[in-house]
Amino acid sequence: MDEKAIREGLRGWIIDRAGATPDALPSDQQAILDDGLLSSLDIVEFILFIEDLREEEVDIEAIEPEVFNNIDSLVEAFFPDAKSVSPA
Amino acid sequence: MSAATDLAVRLSDASVRKSWDVYTAFDWPEQLDPEAEWYMLPELISIYGTETWEGLSETEQKRLSFYEIVNFFSFVLYGERPLISGLMNRMYRKRTQGPITDYLHHFIDEENKHMIMFGEFCKRYAGKIYPEKKIVLPREYAKGEEEIAFFCKVLIVEELGDYYNLKMMSDKTINPLVAKINKVHHIDEARHLGFGREFLRELADETVDSWTAEETESFRTWLTQYLSSSWGDFYNPAVYKDAGIKDGYGTRKMAMAHSACATFRAEASQKLVDYFIDTRLLSEAPAL
Repeated sequence: MDEKAIREGLRGWIIDRAGATPDALPSDQQAILDDGLLSSLDIVEFILFIEDLREEEVDIEAIEPEVFNNIDSLVEAFFPDAKSVSPA
Repeated sequence: MSAATDLAVRLSDASVRKSWDVYTAFDWPEQLDPEAEWYMLPELISIYGTETWEGLSETEQKRLSFYEIVNFFSFVLYGERPLISGLMNRMYRKRTQGPITDYLHHFIDEENKHMIMFGEFCKRYAGKIYPEKKIVLPREYAKGEEEIAFFCKVLIVEELGDYYNLKMMSDKTINPLVAKINKVHHIDEARHLGFGREFLRELADETVDSWTAEETESFRTWLTQYLSSSWGDFYNPAVYKDAGIKDGYGTRKMAMAHSACATFRAEASQKLVDYFIDTRLLSEAPAL
């Protein structure tokens, strides 16, 4: 899966989970937690989605909460080898 | 003496009388065959009542029951870790000094033994403990909310766990070691639950009236989400994959949305939800 598809997948999941419209997440730099789109109780479900997307388990002890800041930090932390194709 | 303090005296006596040694309480078979017998009681298995469950052979169902019990023991073990940590931080405070701290020593001792017991089963027979996926993020609390939230978390992990313990501890169709672990756990948990219900009720009585309507609503929203999130622990994609079901994440989503599973969750949560409504920590039964 290329980077663009990953970003779209993450964006779609966050918007769906938040019950928001796409304009609630206008950029991949926008804060996800601080802006209230997701809460800490959404993180488990989100990690399971990310594991499904990347087809590999996430080592929770190896990540810091900051990786959930925004879509850019998520891609960098969980999909470091994704092929870069003009991100949104 | 408050009701919780009075109860703590009696529970400490009971803990001394019923004290047990985790290192000698069980005969651990050399190995277990996941496909040879039932481990989790079938009707407690997370996808029971779904078309996916019906599509499995009995051997496949038994294999799933093995990984489901490993998952159950894993997340209860992980649930007890912050519980022990939180209880330790609450010992020898003004509110808890005396009989309550005396009882917390037993509470912590027993929870530590449960972690050893669950960890031994998972490592010995599955070669692993399913890792938890939780990350705790800092948040702001209303006055007294952090204490109430902590004891709500304690009650949720223990009440849901005890629902399963009670169903399995005397059942003759499941593996006898699994039945015994559930029984040993239940005997200690019955005391923990009695204390937790009483202590949390006193905290709620003292605190809820001091909250604004907005703070009360915010807490109830959090509690509903936390209870729902706790149920998510039972639907582990890694379990389904280990049992041979290809789409683990899809199976989780299917089961969590399935009416048969939702009915089961509501039934298993009934006692807990009734308590939360009675103590005004919830205003109505949430959709789980």
